[in-house]
Amino acid sequence: MIRIKSILIFGSIALVIAVGLIIGHRAARAHVKYMTAVDDHPITCWNCHVYTQKDNFIAKMMNETYVSPYNLTISQDGNTLYVVGQESNEVVLVDPASERVIDKIAVGERPHTIILSKDEQTAYVSNQWADNIYLIDLGNKQVFDTLTGGSGPAGMVLSQEEDYLWCVNSYSSDISVFDLDTHKERRRLKAGNNPVSAALAPDGSELYVSSRRSIPVPHMTSPITEMTVAGTKYQRVTDRKMWKDAYIMENVRVTPSGDLAISTLIRPKNLIPAVQIERGWMMTHGIGIIERKENGRMIQLILDEPNAYYADPFGLVISPDGKRAYVSHSGVNMITAIDLDEIRKLLEESTDEQLAIYANHLGISSRYVIGRIPTGANPKGMVLSPDGSKLYVAERLNDRIAIINTQTLVTEKTIGLEGPKRRTVARHGRQVLTNAKGTFQNQYACYTCHPDVHEDGLVYNMAGTDMGRNLANVQTLRDIGDIPPYKWNGKNQTIYKQDGMRFSTILTRSEAFSHKELDALVAYIITGNKNPPNLRFNPNGELTAAQERGKEVFYRDFDNFGNEIPVENRCYTCHPPPYFTNLEMTDVGTLADSDDPMKFDVPQLNNIYESAPYLHDGKAPTLEEIWTMFNDDDEHGVANDMMKDQLNDLVEYLKSIGDAKNYMDEAMVYEASVSKKNRSKK
Amino acid sequence: MKKTWIIAGLGLLMTLMLQATEPDGKKTSTMPEYGKWETFTTKNGLPANKIYCVRADGDRVWIGTSHGLVLYENDEFRTFTVEDGLAHPGVLSLDVSELTGDVWIGTLGGMNRYSGGQFTTFTQFNSGLANDVIYSVVCDGKDVWCATGGGAGHYNTYTEEWAIYTERNAPMHEPWTYSVCAGDNKVFIAAWGGGVIEYQNETGSFRDYIDPDGEMEIDLFPDDGVVHDITTAVSHANGILWVATYFGLSRYDGTHWKGYFDHDSGLSSNFINFVKANGDVAFFCTDEGLTSFNSEEWITYKTTETGGERVYWKDGNSSTKTDATGIAHNFTIGVDFQGDHIWVATSYGLSRGTRIN
Repeated sequence: MIRIKSILIFGSIALVIAVGLIIGHRAARAHVKYMTAVDDHPITCWNCHVYTQKDNFIAKMMNETYVSPYNLTISQDGNTLYVVGQESNEVVLVDPASERVIDKIAVGERPHTIILSKDEQTAYVSNQWADNIYLIDLGNKQVFDTLTGGSGPAGMVLSQEEDYLWCVNSYSSDISVFDLDTHKERRRLKAGNNPVSAALAPDGSELYVSSRRSIPVPHMTSPITEMTVAGTKYQRVTDRKMWKDAYIMENVRVTPSGDLAISTLIRPKNLIPAVQIERGWMMTHGIGIIERKENGRMIQLILDEPNAYYADPFGLVISPDGKRAYVSHSGVNMITAIDLDEIRKLLEESTDEQLAIYANHLGISSRYVIGRIPTGANPKGMVLSPDGSKLYVAERLNDRIAIINTQTLVTEKTIGLEGPKRRTVARHGRQVLTNAKGTFQNQYACYTCHPDVHEDGLVYNMAGTDMGRNLANVQTLRDIGDIPPYKWNGKNQTIYKQDGMRFSTILTRSEAFSHKELDALVAYIITGNKNPPNLRFNPNGELTAAQERGKEVFYRDFDNFGNEIPVENRCYTCHPPPYFTNLEMTDVGTLADSDDPMKFDVPQLNNIYESAPYLHDGKAPTLEEIWTMFNDDDEHGVANDMMKDQLNDLVEYLKSIGDAKNYMDEAMVYEASVSKKNRSKK
Repeated sequence: MKKTWIIAGLGLLMTLMLQATEPDGKKTSTMPEYGKWETFTTKNGLPANKIYCVRADGDRVWIGTSHGLVLYENDEFRTFTVEDGLAHPGVLSLDVSELTGDVWIGTLGGMNRYSGGQFTTFTQFNSGLANDVIYSVVCDGKDVWCATGGGAGHYNTYTEEWAIYTERNAPMHEPWTYSVCAGDNKVFIAAWGGGVIEYQNETGSFRDYIDPDGEMEIDLFPDDGVVHDITTAVSHANGILWVATYFGLSRYDGTHWKGYFDHDSGLSSNFINFVKANGDVAFFCTDEGLTSFNSEEWITYKTTETGGERVYWKDGNSSTKTDATGIAHNFTIGVDFQGDHIWVATSYGLSRGTRIN
């Protein structure tokens, strides 16, 4: 009897467990299906619920701080490499002969570039996320002064006499000229949009500054990116070279003889339907060349080949004899070696018309590409040994420096930078995000349209097969884990769906990421993408007078005439803190004739200042134009009652909005305020 | 040979000393005189004869006309139009930033920055610019100030913040502003009907200077303040603020105001379009010629049927010298200086004079 009873009890328990497991599994399957939009994604709870944790104990356990070498330089004797650790906030000193790290110097937040004085007593390190430049005494390895100029300091050069330091400011899009006697900023010159790199002509007379984002162009036209030329004698901008149909000009160099200025670039065909990527030639990658002579031409040559693209060119170095250039392709883990003499010959024998054709000619690279050298993950900055025999490459996502023999074009060895040994899931995801292997013929990586995991400022024809329909302004990937849905039309409920099946269907036209890759990619996007601190418009959290007035406009309930603004037409209703989105779909009257009928997912406003152009199709080049040009009927917030100075104040406030973590308290105040209003209405 | 050089040098020094002193040892005036006038019109390559403004920039000269911006360089005129990126063909005002060398251009349809051969356009729609009619633009360090039909304001080229000053936040009568100038860490705004508005850069505070007698037809009490509330132009140099109106001229030394009119001074007309101080000497663009004044003596340059004339006025005594050449037109609108040259914008042509004393 007891035995039967036991059997019944245990049988019941087993039945309950079995039923529970079946129901649980079905629920889990349904949940995973909802999250991933596919039927076959493994039910691995920890992928979503452990690896995607951020800012807590589990996140600390799961993640690591890597070195992430970005740019580097070398001593004149070739015995020391100075490597910028972008993530570890340090300069790593490496002895390439012994293949050892010999020292580390702590620097500021998110260092970008390091350069040395001629006597190698001083190193200058630009701290991109700290808005300053460290001057380091290389004798005692101590920071002895700090320069402050524009926002987002990046590429730097010293004048020939070393009396001035020129620093490119990537966020404020200008160039600071520092007087190295006074250590003060002497002047600031306007540069292109998002400038990052600078190179001095050998005679010191001219400075070339490359930029990444297009200048504002008429809607539905292809990008134009500026290379700024400054004369060093009077410290003036003397020319602004406009590169048509190109952008993301990461690095610029001038040949030792000074005959050519060369920069990396990408040529996007963003206005053709993205689904046509399988026909090839949607994103091409190459170099821009300026002939430095009277009536010198601007030439674009691509480094891709038929059926093989070399995504995301980044680093560029030129051999001491000026005969070769090397380009790192961070999207395909490859270095391209280029015969510059062959390019010179090509330029000499080609007419302007022929060169215009070569800009789109996938076969022309066979004339001047003399080698491809595989590297580790995400090769970035490079430097040549003084004699040009060794090429050192920063493998950012492997925490290594590769040493390439420039005669054999073979990687001889790699030097580890003493970063974490294990590869975290998020780190794997970052490797996936920056790699173009998932795209048809490697045309682009996620990173290509989302440089710095942000957005590239372009408008793409993404979802349809018709020219000019449903144009989509690329949105940032920073800190988006908590603000679903995704895509302007809100069709993707999760990042899994956005980057999984949809990505392969629409964007890459190749096989989807593996489940493991997708898990890693999502983990990285959710956990690894911080907004840069908004030091430019909100350096210390205290708003300026104009920003304070603008905040009042943002949170106002009544218009200038005393009329109550309908709740749905108040700024804060759709854009509440901390992310300044209510995660809802809404209509703000901006639907174009070329759009399918739809509402739009309310975008977040964190760091909105660096996301021009605006609106779903990018038709507003500036924040002002959202209201001066595209809000006739007050559908995008009541604004037509405002005086111009009020609109200016509102814009100043919007530009001050930074990362969501700064608005958690404000969000609570906001929610309490809304609850109170609702209660009083009842 | 060496001796010859020494003698020549001493001779030159003596000449200069004799020129610079009167018998009683008092310093003579530094009043420059201009002649040898050259006129430039459409026949010389200008796109229009109506010249609104002129601004010297080293060896170059920028010229604002009713039909485009013109650069005069190496004896050639080059015209920039809307097709080149100019916001509007009517170029009313110009300034060049000492910091960057960029040219700032005020037009009837927005403001441009010309830098490195490229125009950038700021309008009331795509930026925080108060209004698209830019009567005056001036660079003051990193700030670009402008006087517009919808208020005065400035653009901080470092922070890209725009500020607008109107009757809502500054002591103005109405938002219409005509001119702006900078000096002594202050900015002065000529506000239509509001006299002169002074802005302190350090504090961001304002004060206004209006006509104390409040009379629109006459200057009831002499030297009690700015002669009229309807001001058209301001210029500041060497601690002196010059204020132009359509009803006379005012000079302010920081303590005292002094008014000048065509009936009691060498001012050629009370109708003053523009004023520009060059050191101690101020030049006034009127509807009846160009007048200069160094706080002691006056010279007016006019065009005549036979050429031109210089009208001298000092302590109530007037005399006239005729010249073979004169300014292009007596309706003068703008003036600037380039070494020994003076450039004058008129309603019918551009003039260049050469210093003759």
